[in-house]
Amino acid sequence: MTGKPILRLDDVSKRFGGVVAADEVTFSVFPGRIHGLIGPNGAGKSTLMNLISGIYRPDGGRIYFDGRDVTDAPSHKRAVMGIGRTFQTPRFLQRSSIRDNLLLGADLGSGYGYTASFFGRKVTGFEDYVEQLLEIAGFTFEWEDDISSLPYGQRKLLEIIRSLLGAPRVMLVDEPAAGLNSREIENAMGLLDFAAKEKNIGILLIEHSMDMIMNICRDIVVINFGRVIAAGTPAEIQSNEDVIVAYLGRNLEA
Amino acid sequence: MQGLNILLQPNVFMQLTINGVAMGMIYALMAMGLILLIRAIGVMNFAQGELLMLGAFITWGLTYQVKLPFVLMIPAAMLCFAFVGVVFMFVAYWPLRTASYPTATVISTMGAAMVIREIATITWGSLPLVSAPLVKGVVRVGSLRLQYQYLLTIAIGAVLIFLVFVLFEKLYAGRIMQAAAQDKYAAELLGIPTVLTTAATYIIVVTLASVGGYMIAPVFLVNVTLGTLQLRAFAGVVTGGFGSVKGAIVGSLFIGLVESYSSTFTTTYKDAVVFLVLIVVLLFRPQGLFGERVADKA
Amino acid sequence: MSKKKNAFLSMTVFKVAALSAAFAAFAFYTPRFTNDYSMMIMNVSLINFIAALGLSVMLGMGGQLSFAAVSFMGAGAYFVANLTNGRLGVIWEPVPVLAGAVLFAAFAAWICGAVLFRLGGTYFTFATIGFVQVTWSVYLNYKFLCGGPDGVSGIPVIRFLGMSPRNYHDWFYILLGFVLAAGFLIERVRKSRLGRSLASIRDNEIAAQTLGVNIYRTKVIAFTIAGALSGLAGGLYAMHNQFISSDLFTFDMATTYVIMTMLGGVNNTVGVFVGSILVTMLPEWLRPVQRYLKLSYGVGIILLMIFMPMGLAGLCNAVLKKLSKRILKKTRAEPDTLGWEK
Repeated sequence: MTGKPILRLDDVSKRFGGVVAADEVTFSVFPGRIHGLIGPNGAGKSTLMNLISGIYRPDGGRIYFDGRDVTDAPSHKRAVMGIGRTFQTPRFLQRSSIRDNLLLGADLGSGYGYTASFFGRKVTGFEDYVEQLLEIAGFTFEWEDDISSLPYGQRKLLEIIRSLLGAPRVMLVDEPAAGLNSREIENAMGLLDFAAKEKNIGILLIEHSMDMIMNICRDIVVINFGRVIAAGTPAEIQSNEDVIVAYLGRNLEA
Repeated sequence: MQGLNILLQPNVFMQLTINGVAMGMIYALMAMGLILLIRAIGVMNFAQGELLMLGAFITWGLTYQVKLPFVLMIPAAMLCFAFVGVVFMFVAYWPLRTASYPTATVISTMGAAMVIREIATITWGSLPLVSAPLVKGVVRVGSLRLQYQYLLTIAIGAVLIFLVFVLFEKLYAGRIMQAAAQDKYAAELLGIPTVLTTAATYIIVVTLASVGGYMIAPVFLVNVTLGTLQLRAFAGVVTGGFGSVKGAIVGSLFIGLVESYSSTFTTTYKDAVVFLVLIVVLLFRPQGLFGERVADKA
Repeated sequence: MSKKKNAFLSMTVFKVAALSAAFAAFAFYTPRFTNDYSMMIMNVSLINFIAALGLSVMLGMGGQLSFAAVSFMGAGAYFVANLTNGRLGVIWEPVPVLAGAVLFAAFAAWICGAVLFRLGGTYFTFATIGFVQVTWSVYLNYKFLCGGPDGVSGIPVIRFLGMSPRNYHDWFYILLGFVLAAGFLIERVRKSRLGRSLASIRDNEIAAQTLGVNIYRTKVIAFTIAGALSGLAGGLYAMHNQFISSDLFTFDMATTYVIMTMLGGVNNTVGVFVGSILVTMLPEWLRPVQRYLKLSYGVGIILLMIFMPMGLAGLCNAVLKKLSKRILKKTRAEPDTLGWEK
């Protein structure tokens, strides 16, 4: 592997009651690369994302971001440092306009404080950047409309855009393709590709669509029962015995 | 401290303990209702004190205006409480059950509180009314003088609390009500009529608070200001740990005792002491004295 | 797209123009048709607006129900009263004292918010109820600073560069100035990062965190702003009515402020303005039916929550949106006739 990892998990564990959701998980995310995180339902993928973005605290192990130990940093601090994310079901402000929703992302990216913003400091190039991203995302909207006026697929794409506006260095993307039509999936991949190639963002991608994973990920981590069972390139993963048994095998039974 | 010396005299201490537990029982009756409502409809009822006040007025009216004898007054009062409960539910909650803004339901209970207070003022006037205690006089235990009314309040409160526990823990109807409260949608799918279970909850809540009003009437006079007692019940609910009936009862008794004991130190700042204790408890044990910390899942 | 953008702009311009016209008419006509007594009540409603605006920041923008407005109003009011009427042996200039009252209330709110916001959601609300009871108890009983049950009287009116209001009509214009300033301040907050962050806390705390919003700090800031506005309102009230007592700072009054905010539209400055005036003036306007006033008031609140939980402003916005959609549909069908195109 070349270069230094931007994000590193070191023996991270988390249990809920008797359930082990993460069991000494270790892996790294590199800038400019898309890493796939796959595993059967309930394997602990979303838990890992919540651990990385600071919504949960791990019971054991450390999390390093850009060489710094962020295991005990609160969620918002990690966001400011550059850990962005999207959610399985998009989380927007339902009672605010699309503009305000996106501005929240831009606020994070700009780093202007409340006072500067109060006295009229605006985010420069905000609208241009959004237009540029919309071109990749393949849809348009009215700035002042409510979020709810957008169809589900576009909201999911918009969440990726909002995250990009926050100028992250690592992006955690949770099932971007779920509920999207094939054209929208293409566009989602376009956005992720842009983020990795143009913005040098390290991306951790949870996805059930194997097409998407095998297409755009250079590295894949497979987990089951909270434990890493395999890691490697798509080709290696596809021929890995454990993965076929644990992951594909279970899928076939179901 | 002089206050402490007074408090530690055995007689005074016993006296204050009995008073405190009695008041705590009244708060507990309201607090239990609050919890039942929070479970059933998910919001705090800011009209709880007014329901207590209305109970005091209704029983006073039945006793002194309709002049019913005690044995008839009780069933008549129960009917009234049930009626109030059903009306209260259909006015202040039912139309709002699908409200998108949870604060709306809270505010609507504030509106209901105002309505109840005004109906009471219009019907009975704003002058305090005197209500005779159920059993007059005092019991002497050694040099202790305990008022019957306080002892009776403790006894009746304990019985009611026990009955509610039996209903919810042991009886089928109570289990159905709990199930409906936990998941309305699933309950409807199972054919449980949630209108009825919610109405039953409201009737129980109103009855509990009203009995509290009836018991407290001889101590405080029947007055529209009785409604302010609900803040003590809130304090009880919160100190006990939000969401558990047991916690609410213990918390209410705790508040009653704090209030009672604090009177040896200061009478002017009694209110302040009670609520300072509430704030301090909240800060050091946000989950309440007896609650468990619940981690919310993202 | 630009067509619709222009249409939106026109709507905004129209809204602003209509609002300014309505406000100017209000400022111009109210004093002409109001006697001195009613003017006094009207002035109080303007003061109430300033306090309610603080609540709107907390509840409307941030979704945090706080009852503590009256506590900080009291802080501002007693601060002004004690330092201007000579009962503590000092008679200071009203304007600096008023500024001091705002700072004092803001500071108190900052401390209080920093402590109470360690609690989340409903617990916080209950802690503020407790806080209101504690402060009320102090205002009622503490003779040295709060005058005890008698309150504090003989507070001098505001004076600036040697000028003082001669009557309640003069006061009206002074208060309008404060109202405008407070209104603009809050609108500015709404359109800045602080407003958006608060909205994100209200709507989705988890999203807020992952967008870098420090929830605790943001809430405390909002609470401080609300406290400053309450302190300003309290100080103004003291100077305006020249008498204050603990009756003004009870839990009942606290609920009244919540109702003012909700009636007009919890997240809308104009709505809060209308709500404050309605709630304060209604008892005067409906004097003939005084006996049933509070009853109808309570019924009104319930009806309001059932039919328009976002208040009058919510209703207005819904209507406006429908109208503008209809107009926009028309423009799309016949773009030239309505002339949105520039």
